[in-house]
Amino acid sequence: MNRAILVALLVAVSTITYSFLGSDDAKADRLKGIWQPSHGKAKIKIDKIGSKYYGKIVWLKEPIDPETKAPKVDKNNPDESLRSTPLKGYRILKDFEYTDEDEWSNGTIYDPENGSTYSCVIKMTDENTLDIRGYIGIKTLGRTDVWKRLEMPSKKKSE
Amino acid sequence: MKYVLKFALVAMLAFYAPVLYAQEDTTTAEDEEDYSIYDDLDFADDGTQSFANAKISGLSPARFISLGYDYQAGYDLTAANVGEGIAPETATINSTSGIRVGANIPVVSRNDLLIQVGGQYWNLNYNYNDASTLNHPLHKTLANNGLRTWGLNSTIYKPLNETHFILVQLGADMNGDYAVPEFQSMRYNRYSIAALYGKRPSDYKQWALGISRTYRAGELNYVPIFYYNYTSPVSKWGIEALLPARGHVRYSFNKRSILMAGFELEGNSYRLGNQSTFLSEPLDDVELRRSEIRARMMYQRQLVGFVWFAAELGYRINYSYNVDDIPEGKDFTRLFGIVSDAPYVMENTIGNPVYFNISLNLVSP
Repeated sequence: MNRAILVALLVAVSTITYSFLGSDDAKADRLKGIWQPSHGKAKIKIDKIGSKYYGKIVWLKEPIDPETKAPKVDKNNPDESLRSTPLKGYRILKDFEYTDEDEWSNGTIYDPENGSTYSCVIKMTDENTLDIRGYIGIKTLGRTDVWKRLEMPSKKKSE
Repeated sequence: MKYVLKFALVAMLAFYAPVLYAQEDTTTAEDEEDYSIYDDLDFADDGTQSFANAKISGLSPARFISLGYDYQAGYDLTAANVGEGIAPETATINSTSGIRVGANIPVVSRNDLLIQVGGQYWNLNYNYNDASTLNHPLHKTLANNGLRTWGLNSTIYKPLNETHFILVQLGADMNGDYAVPEFQSMRYNRYSIAALYGKRPSDYKQWALGISRTYRAGELNYVPIFYYNYTSPVSKWGIEALLPARGHVRYSFNKRSILMAGFELEGNSYRLGNQSTFLSEPLDDVELRRSEIRARMMYQRQLVGFVWFAAELGYRINYSYNVDDIPEGKDFTRLFGIVSDAPYVMENTIGNPVYFNISLNLVSP
């Protein structure tokens, strides 16, 4: 009889824990999708890899470098060995975790325009808007950019 | 019962498997994919509007915090007579130097509005060749007290749509020969404002036209202003200008090393006589209208991370070093002689030395 109670408890705890985790995952996964920074020069696709979130460049307004006439590469990277890496596909958001209600932090953002990596916190102000704050050391010393969610035209039409 | 227990364990594993699997982490780039599917996307919100970015590509880095030292080499200063009571006097100043500290922090940072608030402290110490022999009150106060500025400023950038914007700059400065922490009355504060309307036709160019109330020429003036930033998309050259206040040609060796050549018109109106009587009544509220053109070369380089070093070398050309009578600090404008030809209390003559400035800067993302 005791065993039966133990089994029932194990199953109950598993179910409850998993349902909580699932709910948190669903909230956290709202970050996934395609987003456009305010400058409009790129589109960033955010995906979940493992338990963390990463964002890579999937579109560039000017994909060709006017200087070299070749596809843009990460020419400003302080690491010389990475300067020939194509910008398209480059992961500029790294290691974000869902840490608070509508907030992802502990990650970094890379600015290919100057080759700098900043600490970064992401706040979802509504389902289609992100406040991306890159900062140096403390959040006061930073700048916030607002990103907007993009979606396939077909998806919009079908709604 | 044994089977029930086994079933429970299998069920638990099944529940947790995706979670456990999700702990795998990688930061490596994914395989190539068909990026053309991202060409035609719409904003998820129908009402989403794009706004002109405040910057263009390739600008020299904006400074959050700056700590600098300014040094002017020797020159002669001839302080003019005041009526018949005070005779003119020429003295040699071996050097003029001081620290310059500034901060500029964004307090509102949205796509449709940017507001930055900043402050600065500048100090000017006059190192006379032989201070003990000085008689003229201008030489005495400069030698004993120097000049300093505490200031607050704000920049407001308001994009109207994808290409047009409004830019407003506000400043309030306390300038004088005062000591710290005594300072001087707030009624002697000098306020400046600039308002511009402009266009950002591409990521490589922005320009604006406007008007400013400014003390850059030493005394109060109202002048039209022209803002122009340009970066060549195919070369390392660019232009950064806010005329007539400053204008520079920029050459970027790379994103971490920038050389600029140009000028800055720098000035303000400094109340004299805070620490000791400068001139007797009725000339007891006078201000030094100091303005200089700095023709210069400026090199900026990233040291580590977000810390940049800047060094400038140039020629400091005097534009104004006259003294005005401003009873109770109620300022007036001559508007370059158009609205007033009020005489100066002193029309001083000052030499033009070479100068250098070095600074460490924490630059903005």
